[in-house]
Amino acid sequence: MELARLARAGDESAFEEIMRRYSPRVFRFASRFFNQRSLVEEAAQEVFLKAFTELGSFEGRGSMEGWLTRITTHTCLNLLRSAKRRPELTVSDLTENETTWLDSNMGEAAAERHKSSERSLVAADLAGRVLQTLSPDDQLVLTLIDGEDNSVKEVVEMTGWSESKVKVQAFRARRRMREAVEKLLGHKPSAAART
Amino acid sequence: MNDKHILDLIENTTFNSLSESELNTIRLHTAECSSCQKAFAAASISSLLLKERTAEVFEPSPFFHTRVLAHLRERQAANETWAWHCIWRATAALASSMVATVAALAVLTFVIPDGPLSPDFAETSARNAYSAEEVILNPGDFDEQASDGSVLTTLYDAAEDGTK
Repeated sequence: MELARLARAGDESAFEEIMRRYSPRVFRFASRFFNQRSLVEEAAQEVFLKAFTELGSFEGRGSMEGWLTRITTHTCLNLLRSAKRRPELTVSDLTENETTWLDSNMGEAAAERHKSSERSLVAADLAGRVLQTLSPDDQLVLTLIDGEDNSVKEVVEMTGWSESKVKVQAFRARRRMREAVEKLLGHKPSAAART
Repeated sequence: MNDKHILDLIENTTFNSLSESELNTIRLHTAECSSCQKAFAAASISSLLLKERTAEVFEPSPFFHTRVLAHLRERQAANETWAWHCIWRATAALASSMVATVAALAVLTFVIPDGPLSPDFAETSARNAYSAEEVILNPGDFDEQASDGSVLTTLYDAAEDGTK
């Protein structure tokens, strides 16, 4: 609160201290929405520039962390909205690695988390590409609830949406994500046919 | 339950929070329903993809704070420039309007000729045989010509006009 007061009065070092304290969290949060470092940095930078402008509206009733999280959520959502939504992802758009990943994670094997970092990167990239075919609101709710295990109430606090909106959005987003993945699995040629 | 599809079950909650009984229901149903089996596989892969996606975290680069502060200063400087620009524009508008007003007054005073006089004013002027400008600019010329009689005539005529 003291830091916020000083920063509001124009103390640049106080604002720098705020950035030092909270930038790891802002980066972690923005990383859930963008899979490229440059986009995450852009989002984080926008968050802090907005935070500086809106310091006057921070009354210190809640935590600064929560306040910054809300700004981060809205900033990321706006950036997702401004980004061009990708058309439907088809199996022909998949890389060889992504197809292999899908092959090896079909059925019951999906329950087991694989440990290879390279395979994780492939999965993260594929997830990003599938998510980009969904609306920003779908991406947000799926990432926060299904990816991060946040509760509906936590998402309500982060987004400012109503509880029912979060629930309905999550339900529909899961359906759309499942359908997008199912399409990839359904139209995927067998491994023997590809080789 | 086997005739009831399990889509609502897998879409109502996160994949990881499905209870053991719900999973049993799903297994029983998917053993017989191929479309739900595909949907369940897709849902499990979706869940896995989302987990992998959120596992990837970027840390701020060492120069991040410096860069943000630089952007902040740039933005503030731009705002100040904009404020000065606004003040300058307002001043310029005020000055030009003042110049225009002065020019308009000058034109009205010196360039545009006098319009037709009202009959009363023309009559009075003819009787006096001198104009107001002449009286003001050359007061000495009229001191001798204005007799007491003409002053009294002018005054009484004006009073009579007023009473009418």
